[in-house]
Amino acid sequence: MAQDKTAPINVKLLLIGNSSVGKSSLLLRFSDEQWLPEDESSATIGVDFRVHKMEVNGKKVKLSIWDTAGQERFRTITSSYYRGAQGIILVYDVANRESFDALPRWYSELETYVSSSVVKIIVGNKVDKEFSRQVSYAEGQQFAQRMGSLFVEASAKTSVGVDEAFQDVVEKILDTPELWAPVAGSKGARRPGAAGAAESSMPGSISLTEGGSGAAEGGCSC
Amino acid sequence: MPTELPYAADAEVSLQYDELEVLRLQYQKELAQSHVTVQTKFNYAWGLVKSPLREHQVEGVRLLQEIYRAEPTRRRECLYYLGLGHYKMGNYEEASRFNSLLLEKEPTNLQAQSLGHLIDERVKREGYIGMALVGGAAAIGTLLLAGVIRRATRK
Repeated sequence: MAQDKTAPINVKLLLIGNSSVGKSSLLLRFSDEQWLPEDESSATIGVDFRVHKMEVNGKKVKLSIWDTAGQERFRTITSSYYRGAQGIILVYDVANRESFDALPRWYSELETYVSSSVVKIIVGNKVDKEFSRQVSYAEGQQFAQRMGSLFVEASAKTSVGVDEAFQDVVEKILDTPELWAPVAGSKGARRPGAAGAAESSMPGSISLTEGGSGAAEGGCSC
Repeated sequence: MPTELPYAADAEVSLQYDELEVLRLQYQKELAQSHVTVQTKFNYAWGLVKSPLREHQVEGVRLLQEIYRAEPTRRRECLYYLGLGHYKMGNYEEASRFNSLLLEKEPTNLQAQSLGHLIDERVKREGYIGMALVGGAAAIGTLLLAGVIRRATRK
């Protein structure tokens, strides 16, 4: 394998999904081992960002995780952050049917921005709300399988499945060298998706990639 | 293990020229039809505030201020991006004022907390530079004064 030296592999992940499904909470649990109760947490404005270092299968990995706002009015803003992502974490709330039913729309949106080799994982969050569950494990898993995506159920509140979710995406990314190893000859082999084609089915969003040459930038340099 | 430095995602990365153009053209189009939607205006203002060019930032802040006044439902994001815009322009007092308004309403907002830290750090750093300048001037003044006194006492 091309892996050598001690320089970490930079990996860019993006969290997407309906509002209030717990994207920021999953990230806060994963990166800071914290959790804020619902009345103390606020809807993300535009996009938030965290860096997290980890080691996976003996490889050093530096994760840049972009936590996007789920609210529709930020859709244009958040779409500008898809570029260069190697992994997408699609989150829904197991106690909220609507957030699960919205996943196909999230898939059609991400197809316009990222190449098909990008690793996707579906995370069914809030399994601590077992009593009000509206989406079964089997249903979530079947859908993920159909979409060629990984699947895990989790709870940012109890931290069940959270590390696993991030670990799984990163492992799969590392198993897909074309996503992170420099490809000889062409710098930034990632295509910016079908540029300009396919209006995203999300209302109120403008595709920012129209005619964009989109040389893929691997996360941030900080 | 917290791996966190204060960070404001939208402060660092600017849009590509083409991307900002998409937002600007949409805004101009609606302006020509004399009906600009809040969404279009907000998107364009956001793109401007992210720009490294000062004239863009100034225009972005102006648009955000208009949205803030006209759209109570958009106030929280306007406050955040007004804070961010002024921070990028180096108007730390203004930046802090807008960000504090947001923190008043949402004391546990992590993005606002992070932006607050960034502003404080910058203020502190510029404060040090200011003090160093003043300190340096004082030192030179003292030397000059000492020289004058020495010369005076020699006579």
